Amino acid sequence: MSNTQNASHDPAESNRDDRSADAVTQTTAGESQEETQTEWTDYEFRGEPKLSVDDLDVYYGDERALQGITMDIPENSVTALIGPSGCGKSTFLRCLNRMNDRIKSASVDGSVELEGEEIYQDGLDLVTLRKRVGMVFQSPNPFPKTIRDNISYGPRKHGDIETGLLARLLGDDSGEREEKLVERCLKQAALWEEVSDRLDDNALGLSGGQQQRLCIARCLAVDPEVILMDEPASALDPIATAKIEDLIEELAEEYTVVVVTHNMQQAARISDQTAVFLTGGELVEFDDTDKIFENPESQRVEDYVTGKFG
Amino acid sequence: MSERTLRNQSRDPLAVEYSAALAGLSVVPIATFFAAFVVGGLTLAGQRSLGSTILGIEIETVLTALLFVAGGCLLAISVGSRYGVIETTPDRSAGLGVASGFGFVAFSGIGLAMSQTFGLGRLVWAPLALIGGLTVAGAIVFAREDLGVTVPAGLFSVAIGSLVLFDGLTPAWAWSPAGFGVTFNGTVLIPLLTIVAGLVTAWAAANAFEGFGAAGRQAGAFFLIGANATLILLVLLLLIAFIVKNGFWYAVDGIEIGPGLNFHWPFVMDGYDVVLNQKGIYPAIIGTFWLVVGALVMAVPIGVGAAVFLTEYAEEGRFTSVIDIATNGLWSTPSVVFGLFGYAFLVPRLGNNTSLLAGMIVLGFMLLPLVLITSREAIKSVPDEYRDASAALGVSKWETIKDVTIPSAMPGIVTGIIIGIGRIAGETAPILIVTADNPQRSSAPAIMGSFELTTSPPFIVNEALLSGSSALPYQLYGAITTGVVGDDPGYGWATAFVLLLVVLSFYVIGITTRIYFRKKLQA
Repeated sequence: MSNTQNASHDPAESNRDDRSADAVTQTTAGESQEETQTEWTDYEFRGEPKLSVDDLDVYYGDERALQGITMDIPENSVTALIGPSGCGKSTFLRCLNRMNDRIKSASVDGSVELEGEEIYQDGLDLVTLRKRVGMVFQSPNPFPKTIRDNISYGPRKHGDIETGLLARLLGDDSGEREEKLVERCLKQAALWEEVSDRLDDNALGLSGGQQQRLCIARCLAVDPEVILMDEPASALDPIATAKIEDLIEELAEEYTVVVVTHNMQQAARISDQTAVFLTGGELVEFDDTDKIFENPESQRVEDYVTGKFG
Repeated sequence: MSERTLRNQSRDPLAVEYSAALAGLSVVPIATFFAAFVVGGLTLAGQRSLGSTILGIEIETVLTALLFVAGGCLLAISVGSRYGVIETTPDRSAGLGVASGFGFVAFSGIGLAMSQTFGLGRLVWAPLALIGGLTVAGAIVFAREDLGVTVPAGLFSVAIGSLVLFDGLTPAWAWSPAGFGVTFNGTVLIPLLTIVAGLVTAWAAANAFEGFGAAGRQAGAFFLIGANATLILLVLLLLIAFIVKNGFWYAVDGIEIGPGLNFHWPFVMDGYDVVLNQKGIYPAIIGTFWLVVGALVMAVPIGVGAAVFLTEYAEEGRFTSVIDIATNGLWSTPSVVFGLFGYAFLVPRLGNNTSLLAGMIVLGFMLLPLVLITSREAIKSVPDEYRDASAALGVSKWETIKDVTIPSAMPGIVTGIIIGIGRIAGETAPILIVTADNPQRSSAPAIMGSFELTTSPPFIVNEALLSGSSALPYQLYGAITTGVVGDDPGYGWATAFVLLLVVLSFYVIGITTRIYFRKKLQA
């Protein structure tokens, strides 16, 4: 696991090396409880690995929530994380933009690299990390502000947009840029048609599905590279869910999307590759979605995706 | 219950008729309660005497009639329900609570009658009253619920009515218990007992209206809780009405409007000057205004800032719990202790005389804990989802607090400030000690006009801040106790009236602010 930042470091290649090395350690250092784990073959990406996770352990106090997770998340694709409740998939997701830092009892051991750069290094700028790795939460959580302010909140806080009195005195044209940004993000989130005439209304007046798409738009406003979604449709009705699912597939053309879901049909519909977490916080299998659902290596994964337990 | 529902669904004409009878019989005692409450209340408030008439009938007769009507209706319900004429769904028993309540009433009634009317010794009346009370309680426990609720309530009402009707209790009746310096008069007891009996019968009637059982008990409880809530409103209205009645005409006396923009309201716009024959409270109004403003300037930034620190930054632990305890202790510290502290600590350091500034600081200290407690609660109740969302956008904690947390908590913070203003604007003891010099001042502190720039530090001085002032509560205290204004009770009432107006206008400002912030948060 290399935490050093090397100028000539080729993330893709090095990660692949790490990857195979880990496969070896995994086979040799198989603990008794991991005996049932099938050795799923090294997974070949279709794109570059955007995020590379290596031997990641997470503890809540003394309780181990994730056990030695190692996986590479490819660029510009949808990666689904599925598994039963309490299997650690949300915990894993929150490791990817260090939201777990906000939980006092959580401690993380291992390495997560974003394009080859270790995110668990000392002195890492969380602001930059979270701008690059955005997040959408389980229940829609727009701020109690106007729709426009919800979207411009992030850029404004990062100094990309200034519309205050000072900016006006200095002759800044942020107002126009704000309008463009709001329109672009809302269009990307497939919400523009519905709200373009009421941008100054409070966001809490939107329906649940619209609120969730607004949250996605808000996340897009800070130009992330990766978008993490924690069961983004679980609080929504089927129609709103379908809209979110379409949106996720569209977003994957430009962004790397990681989606946690407990809905296996949803994972099968929208994702390019699927990681199956099972109880105890272990990653049991990670492969192309088709393979996971049609012909998984592991018996436990097959039992899970065919509904024998979970 | 199911039987009743089936009957209603099959639209049995008899059942409908009987339930209409039940509704009618049970609505009457509730209506008579309200009538008794209004009439009795007017009598208690001294607006009417028992001998005067309403609609041509003597009030005493009206009250008695109400008691008999309510009691009669309840007894009719009990008979009808007992013999199945009226469809109800009572439980097996009215329960221990009802039984012990009526048992206690019986015990007190029998005991009082035995000991006071018949002059029996305690060895005789106590066992008799106890037996009587236990009998009533036992009868209620073992009777079916419909009887256990309606019969004692009806009998209670009828008994009180009979007492008045047969002159057992007359307006002239008076009782001074030995060794107790209060005299109970018939003029007070008759309306009071009527209202109490009305409350009991109305409760029983509300219970009967839903046909007893669980639904009935719920209706009874709703009635009592609703009566409580109404009572709170009435206490407030009574207080305000009393002060307005006594102070309004004195306060508005001599208002001149015109010609043109000329407007003069002597009581509010003049000082107190014997020579000029002015009896106004302008200096006190301005004093109270500046005290409140100064205290707010002191307390709000510190309180809200401390709340942000404790809630958002400090880790829950010994430190925060010590501060919590200290805050609560500060909040419950008697105001006169704050005043004493100000007098011993602040006054010697601020020119060694009572001053407006010392008053502002002391009132600020008093306001601080309330602002802190309410702001903390308001900030705690901001959903964590907002903080998560903001953090996930890479926004720092302080920016999140500034732009998301505090605006969301603003209505709660403002509520705390409103309550706090109510407290400090009416505070007398600390003002008396640290601010006041002469209660009836002729001129107001000129704070805005007294700011002066100097060439040496501190560069800006304000003489008015460092001199004494009056304030409305203190002025009121002075007018009541010192007799400076002479035999002029209207002056005190009018001061109280204006104090109320000033506090209410601060409330209006606060509530408007809160509505503004709420609007911003809501869709």
